[in-house]
Amino acid sequence: MDRGGGGESGDALVREALGYADTLYNLARYLTGNQPDAEDLVQETYARALGAAGQFTRGGNLKAWLFRILRNTFISMYRRQRNNPTVGGLDTVDPTAQGPSREHLLLDDMELDRLRKVVGEEIERALMSLTEEARTVILLDLEGLTEVEAAQVLDCSDGTVKSRLSRARAALRLKLKDYGR
Amino acid sequence: MNCQEVRPQLLDYQRGTLGLDLRADISTHLDSCPECARATAAEQALTEMLEQRLPQHSAPLGLKRLLAARWPAAPAPRPSWWTRWGRSLVPAAAVAVVLLTVMPLYYQRLAPPTADGLVTEAVNDHLRILTSQHPLDVESSDFHQVKPWFEGRLDFAPVVSFLGDAEFPLKGGAVGYFLDRKAAVFVFHRRLHAVSLFVVRSEGLPWPAGGARAHLTPSRGFNVMLWRSGELGYALVSDLDGAELAQLAAKLGVTS
Repeated sequence: MDRGGGGESGDALVREALGYADTLYNLARYLTGNQPDAEDLVQETYARALGAAGQFTRGGNLKAWLFRILRNTFISMYRRQRNNPTVGGLDTVDPTAQGPSREHLLLDDMELDRLRKVVGEEIERALMSLTEEARTVILLDLEGLTEVEAAQVLDCSDGTVKSRLSRARAALRLKLKDYGR
Repeated sequence: MNCQEVRPQLLDYQRGTLGLDLRADISTHLDSCPECARATAAEQALTEMLEQRLPQHSAPLGLKRLLAARWPAAPAPRPSWWTRWGRSLVPAAAVAVVLLTVMPLYYQRLAPPTADGLVTEAVNDHLRILTSQHPLDVESSDFHQVKPWFEGRLDFAPVVSFLGDAEFPLKGGAVGYFLDRKAAVFVFHRRLHAVSLFVVRSEGLPWPAGGARAHLTPSRGFNVMLWRSGELGYALVSDLDGAELAQLAAKLGVTS
C-alpha cells in the first residue's frame, strides 16, 4: 500500500488518519442514518484515503481531506443504490424550499423557550430530515471547519458554504419549531 | 447598517470572527432593532443546542479493531485529553504526562487490555486531570447541573447515585477517554485531594469478577477501585487511602 511515500512519515499519516475514526464515523452516521452503512462508509473511506495517501499534501488539513473523501464516497456509493434512498435524500439544498423567510427567522420568545427544551433525539431527528447537503454543512461547521475548509470538502466556493450554512440552520430551526412543546 | 446587511453576519458576529468596526456597527444595530436581536437569540439557541445536545456517535469498538487490524503498523491513537488540554500545560508537566501516558497506551494497543491495564489507564487519566489547567468542562457542585450537561455528548447515560456532600463535594464533570471509548468524568474532592470517577460502557473490557463489588488496587501511590454494574463500568481513582476511597465508593452505592 502506498502510504504517501511510505516509511515513518507514511505510518505517521496513517496513525493520524485513524485518529479521526470517531469524527468520521459520526459524520458517516448522520449521512447514512444507520450503523452498518456508516461502518461500511468509514471503512471504504479509509481504504480510499490510505490507498492514495500520496495524494495528500503534507501540511494540508488531513481532517478536511478525509471528510471530502468520505462525502464523495457516500455520494458515489449511494447514487448506485437509488432504490434504497437515504433519509433526507441526496438532492441539493433548494433555496426556495428551505430558505428562511423573514417570519421564520424571527422566533418569538415562546418559540425560543421551546427550542431550548428540545432533547438530543429530537435534534437528531430534525437534522436527519434535512437534505444531505444541509446536514453535511451543519456537521462540518460543528466540527470546527472554517468556511475555506468546508468549501474544500463540499467542492464549492467559500461564499456558497456561508449561504448554505445559513439556509441549513434556518431550515433546521423550522423543523425544530414543533418540538419542545 | 440595516437588517438585510446585519442578518448574514449574525453567526460570525456571535463567533467573534468579524473585524472590530463591523462588529461595532452590528452591535449598534442590535441595540436598536428588536427583530435582529431576536434573530441573534435564535441563532445562539440553535448553536447551543447543536453543540451541547446533538448526539455524537463514536465509532464502534469492532470497527476500530477492524481498522487497526487492516493497518497493523499504525495502531490508532485515541484523541486523548492530552490533545484537548495539553496546549495549556507547562513544558515540564507535558514531559511527565507523555512519559506516563503515551508509553502505556502504546503497549495497550498491542494487546487487549487486561485488568491491570484498566488500573493503569485509570491512574493515567486521573493524572491528566491533575496536570491539566482546565480539567473540567463543566464546573459546578450542583449534580443537577453536571449530569444533564452530558446529554448528547455520550452514547450512554452515566448512572451515578451520589450527588456530592460536605465530605466529598462535587467539583464538576468532563467528557474524557478511557482506553478506546468516551468516558463521563466526575471529579469529587476530599479535603485537598481530588477523586476522579470515570464511567464508561463496560462491554469488551476485563472488569474484575464480582459484579457490583468494587475491587481496590493500589498503583503508583494511587488507589483505584473498579467495578461493573450492568452495561456500565466504573473506575474511582485518588491518592486518598483505601478506607476513605471506600467511603466514597459506599456513597456511590458499591461495597468493597
